[in-house]
Amino acid sequence: MPMQRNSTGDETGWFAEVPPYRLATLRVALATTTLVFHVPKFNALIDRYVASTFHIPPAFPWIPPVTHAGGTLLMGLQHLAAWGLLLGFSPRLSAWFLSAVGFYLISLDPEHYSHNAQFHLTLLALVGCSGERVTLSQLLRGDDSGDKCPAWPEVLVRIQASIVFFYAALDKVFSPYWSLSGGLLAAMAVTEHGPGLAWLQSVNQAAIRAFPAAMSVMTATLEFSLAAVFLYRPLWRVGIVVGFVFVMYLEFLLKPGLFAWDMLAAFLVMMPAGDRSWTFLHDRECSSCLRNWTLLARLDWLRRVRCVPAQEAVAPESPPALGCDRKHTRFHLISPRGREYRGFDVFRVLAPIFPGPVFVVLVLARFGGGFLAARGFGHWDDLPYLMLGALLILWLPEVPRLVSRPLYGAPRGTSRDGAVPE
Amino acid sequence: MTISRVSGSRSYATAAFIILWLVIQIILPLVQKFELPTFRYRWARFSWSMYSRLGPRYEVRLFRIRDGGVAEPIPDVSRYVSGYRSPEPLPMIATYVSEEEVHDRFSRLVTHIARDRRDGYTYVASIRWTAYQRPIVPGLVEFHADAKE
Repeated sequence: MPMQRNSTGDETGWFAEVPPYRLATLRVALATTTLVFHVPKFNALIDRYVASTFHIPPAFPWIPPVTHAGGTLLMGLQHLAAWGLLLGFSPRLSAWFLSAVGFYLISLDPEHYSHNAQFHLTLLALVGCSGERVTLSQLLRGDDSGDKCPAWPEVLVRIQASIVFFYAALDKVFSPYWSLSGGLLAAMAVTEHGPGLAWLQSVNQAAIRAFPAAMSVMTATLEFSLAAVFLYRPLWRVGIVVGFVFVMYLEFLLKPGLFAWDMLAAFLVMMPAGDRSWTFLHDRECSSCLRNWTLLARLDWLRRVRCVPAQEAVAPESPPALGCDRKHTRFHLISPRGREYRGFDVFRVLAPIFPGPVFVVLVLARFGGGFLAARGFGHWDDLPYLMLGALLILWLPEVPRLVSRPLYGAPRGTSRDGAVPE
Repeated sequence: MTISRVSGSRSYATAAFIILWLVIQIILPLVQKFELPTFRYRWARFSWSMYSRLGPRYEVRLFRIRDGGVAEPIPDVSRYVSGYRSPEPLPMIATYVSEEEVHDRFSRLVTHIARDRRDGYTYVASIRWTAYQRPIVPGLVEFHADAKE
């Protein structure tokens, strides 16, 4: 199995040593979805199973049924394992335990099966293979210990995502409900949304019903393409963007349990990590700068940002147009290509630099909102789309300046680049 | 700085695990999806066939009768299967199971209830397929089990 070095200096290949932060971020992302969706669902299955005296025979005769005491124990241990996974205490054992219990429950009754559960359990098993030893508190601390871990679990996660898309696409070629008819798409019950988004959903549904065959072919083509893209490193960047749009569209259309969120979590292993290629500029004398850096460091799970005093950034190798005469009391980030983001502009690039925390916030919004929506408090489960919409709107010209004005105080005026001077 | 290296015999074990994992992940969905030896396509679990069919819809009624009389509710039916009711029809979707598996489940269920109660009643599961079932599946299927006293 080959090992090679890419242009950014990361070693690639099955047995290469890589920064542990990608796998640690994936672990925290999966632990979040496990806690908010998987454990409640599978504990409910255990509860329902032990409450019934009738059971169909398990998939294999040697599989023991769940007893009352065993069920109670499993439910408690599932919670414990999910928290262990999140916090980074015995993460490998926790991940394998959750995966094994899940497959055990699926084998007890086919009605416990779902594709999204299978994908979640498969990812948990792969996280159980990971050699990273980064606890949640270390992840939040922001410093880099220099630890490395084997790359092969990351490679398997990427291949797994590719396999899932490949077989999903293959199914659409052979299924009589898809292929050139698109019959399933036209008959599919879509998710209801709140005001505004409901209109978007009805437009979307009208388009699907008008062109079901084209949509069917397009879906299969897109899935085949994603399957191929994830196997070829130079295409990962475009694959992540297209894949993100595609799975969020699926989530918007159908809300297929955990599938979209788990797939997004799997994309994390294709993100750069440990490169410190983004620069956070600050003034040494400024206390608010240090507070900003403390905040950013806690979000920087992939170790992508380095903190540089503005006084040092005037060195010849520094990005142009930076000088000590400027104050750096607001957020001031410089991309690896030298593009500057100041003040509210920083929110534009939060998702690509800090995908882990953004993912966790979106998942909490989706499933926390879903909890409220299920209890009749309105369409709070639409929150992730509103948050993503807000991030997209920030890319419109002048929007960050207009949004930041009331927050940073309009009377003091703003500079040409949208930053608000002190 | 600690580096977790894969070396020596451990690397062979890891390589064996990777190969085994990939073989299972590639072969299992393939044989699930394409029935051997005919290679005919079919919907199946464990084959990543998300949304590749419309789950067959059905209504199930669980009740008991005695001497050809009217349908009576099964007492304490939730003790046998949590979340079910009797004798009202219950709309269901066979999302991840086949029509045959649905029939098998309810056939076993009424047999289990009849064996448990032994009260002279006949226990019935009446399944009416309402949408998206395969053409070979009859529209109405009933399973009877006598609870001999």
